[in-house]
Amino acid sequence: MSDDTLRMLRDSAADFATLDGARVRRLRGTDPGFERDRWREMGDMGWLGVLIPEAHGGLGLDLGAAVTIAEQLGRALYPEPYSASAVLATLALLHGDNAALKQTLLPRLASGEIVAGLAWQGERGGLDPDQCSVKLRESNGAQQLEGSSRFVSPAAADGYIVAARAAQGLELHWIARSAPGLACEPEARADGSASALLRFEAVGVSADTRVASPAAASAALRLALDHATLSTSAELFGLMDCTLEMTLDYLRTRVQFGKPIGSFQALQHRAVDMYMQKEMTRATLGAAVSSVLDPACTGEQRAVAASSAKARASQAALAICKEALQMHGAIGYTDEYDLGLYFNRALVLSASLGNASAHRSRYASLAALP
Amino acid sequence: MNYGVPQEQDWDTLSDAAFRAVVRAEVEAHHPAELRYPPRRLRWAENKSWYLRMAAKGWIAPGWPREYGGMGLSASKLLIFLEEMERWGIARFQDHGILMVGPILMRFGTEAQRRRYLPPILACEEIWCQGYSEPNAGSDLANLRTEAKLDGDAFIINGQKTWTTLAHDSTHMIVLARTDKEAKKQSGISFLMLDLKTPGVTVRPIRDLAGHDEFCEVFFDNVRTPATNLVGKLNQGWTVAKSQLGFERIHIGSPKLPEYGLQVLLSVARARGVEHDALFRDRLAQLQLDVAHLGDIYAHFAAIVGRGEALGPEVSLLKIWATETFQRIADLIIETAGEFGGLTGKVQMADGRIEVLAPFYKARPTSIYGGSNEIQRNILARQVLNLPG
Ligand SMILES: Cc1cc2nc3c(=O)[nH]c(=O)nc-3n(C[C@H](O)[C@H](O)[C@H](O)COP(=O)(O)OP(=O)(O)OC[C@H]3O[C@@H](n4cnc5c(N)ncnc54)[C@H](O)[C@@H]3O)c2cc1C
Repeated sequence: MSDDTLRMLRDSAADFATLDGARVRRLRGTDPGFERDRWREMGDMGWLGVLIPEAHGGLGLDLGAAVTIAEQLGRALYPEPYSASAVLATLALLHGDNAALKQTLLPRLASGEIVAGLAWQGERGGLDPDQCSVKLRESNGAQQLEGSSRFVSPAAADGYIVAARAAQGLELHWIARSAPGLACEPEARADGSASALLRFEAVGVSADTRVASPAAASAALRLALDHATLSTSAELFGLMDCTLEMTLDYLRTRVQFGKPIGSFQALQHRAVDMYMQKEMTRATLGAAVSSVLDPACTGEQRAVAASSAKARASQAALAICKEALQMHGAIGYTDEYDLGLYFNRALVLSASLGNASAHRSRYASLAALP
Repeated sequence: MNYGVPQEQDWDTLSDAAFRAVVRAEVEAHHPAELRYPPRRLRWAENKSWYLRMAAKGWIAPGWPREYGGMGLSASKLLIFLEEMERWGIARFQDHGILMVGPILMRFGTEAQRRRYLPPILACEEIWCQGYSEPNAGSDLANLRTEAKLDGDAFIINGQKTWTTLAHDSTHMIVLARTDKEAKKQSGISFLMLDLKTPGVTVRPIRDLAGHDEFCEVFFDNVRTPATNLVGKLNQGWTVAKSQLGFERIHIGSPKLPEYGLQVLLSVARARGVEHDALFRDRLAQLQLDVAHLGDIYAHFAAIVGRGEALGPEVSLLKIWATETFQRIADLIIETAGEFGGLTGKVQMADGRIEVLAPFYKARPTSIYGGSNEIQRNILARQVLNLPG
């Protein structure tokens, strides 16, 4: 992918996606928590299909394009589930081995006609895709899903790609939201969005719903998770960059004791620390994306890269948001002021797909000791 | 004059253990279970049943001297009293009347003011809020613009206060207002008492980022408060307000909130099955020590107050340590919670329901209010370490 393509994509995303605090506030706590029209517009811009081959109605670009868009959406605090649907669920489908499902679903995902979620974590959470707690059972010759999955985002997807343990290994299945036996319990998140606790009771599946067979499922799921982890890190980067900018503006303009508070060295040094965290995140994220884009990158190297970036991004975003709040004083603690929107989104994104601590321990278990 | 309900006995004649048993028995028998460990500040309508009961028993003002209707507890007994409230997860109410207004009136008020205002504070009939901060007067409080002009037998107040905690639950406010515009910043300020039902007062709740309405903006449009509601001398309000800052710091510096944080941390760790994990144990022990040592230094400062001595600027360290310990605990809660750390409200974790983010939301502003931690560090650097300004 050329630098020009990337630049165009970034500029168009930056132009289109600007912070609309009123919209973000209005959508909190609503079902589905985002706008279908906006989602389709995102499809029209090509964003939802960046990772989808042209043959399936996408742009056929790569992770570099996806993180570029994610960063801009992070700046604008888009509640639309870009990383969850256009990266995570889309890649799981794309790297599965069901050509017919790809044929029907990928174009609809690319256009924004549908929104998909990926259900892979058990009720206790955790990063290991093999620990999923949904099981595939045979009952009188029919195949059924049993069990539950949590932290599924977005809660109100049109369908979910569900990781299930079968006798031969992991499988992925496409389950429509309306499938009989599927119950969806939304759980409110700090930013006003919702993830779902999905319960499966004798939900019928077949070869037609099977997105990935045991031969492909585990690899597809891991690849999708690592990519979505990086795109979430990019959202966090966009968010922390804006938070820092907002804070620097405030330090320059808020006057106490007859001076801008930014003239106090106690705050200056900490603003510099925030800036350093942000720049470290930018560098790490860039390096992680490059190493994943390298054709020689192994699955394990990809996981190390994703964990290193997400550990940094989650930690830096929370640190920057906490400092931003402190430096704003009481006004930062109000809902009327946009900082709170960034703060609450940072809580959600830093926790989702593994928080800093979870990624540090995955990093430690994968990266070889020197 | 009898200010409140007479005490059943002289508590200081009891041993510490006997006194603790009395308090514990009372609390365990009568405190409503559903009010234990609330995840946010309760509104008066929610917790008034308990506090009216405490008022009727004469236990609403444990730190006040008996002559003014308090329990007259010594520093060590007061600590025990507060520990027992904490142990049972009993939340504060809008207690500025008890914590600030009472002590201020005892020290600076007139006999008539004490007779008028102390009894309804003790009966919880009048609830007070603190009207100090303004949009342009936060850390730089002396920059306040709200004006009060003497007009016959009343002051006429114009201006605005903000971030006033629970003004919408309060009947009265203490107001710092500028009464001399010519004088230098601190010296033209007076300390006034105001009935919030007075015409011209508008209270507007402000929603915070945790989604609660805990603080308010309060506007004054030609609001008249009787001249007899001036506390201390005209233009001496700064001295009156400052006299309580040490006590406010002691109050925010109590181990209460960090202890609540530790409890949530332990529930989250158990639900996540990491309570025996070696790394977690080490970090938990660090925080437990931070809280235990906070208790030690809190007792040291409380004893100074108990002896009736003035608190020095060192008390700022208590405020910093308490609030930042609470914040570190809240951070570890989120970290330990994993994906649960993004969920708001009561969250089902293992077999319990835990409000995972509540300590985090509570902890963040503690380093902003009561004099920000930056201001506390400035005080320590200049007034305790004597570093050049
Ligand atoms: C939850 C909550 C409840 C509150 N309740 C009340 C109440 O009931 N009544 C009331 O009167 N007020 C109340 N306040 C207001 C509180 O007292 C102020 O927020 C506080 O004094 C800080 O003022 P500010 O918010 O204007 O921040 P600012 O003073 O504008 O400070 C912004 C940042 O600059 C820093 N800063 C300022 N000066 C310096 C300096 N010289 N050196 C280094 N850093 C500096 C501050 O520490 C802060 O980080 C409440 C605030 C909160 C958050």
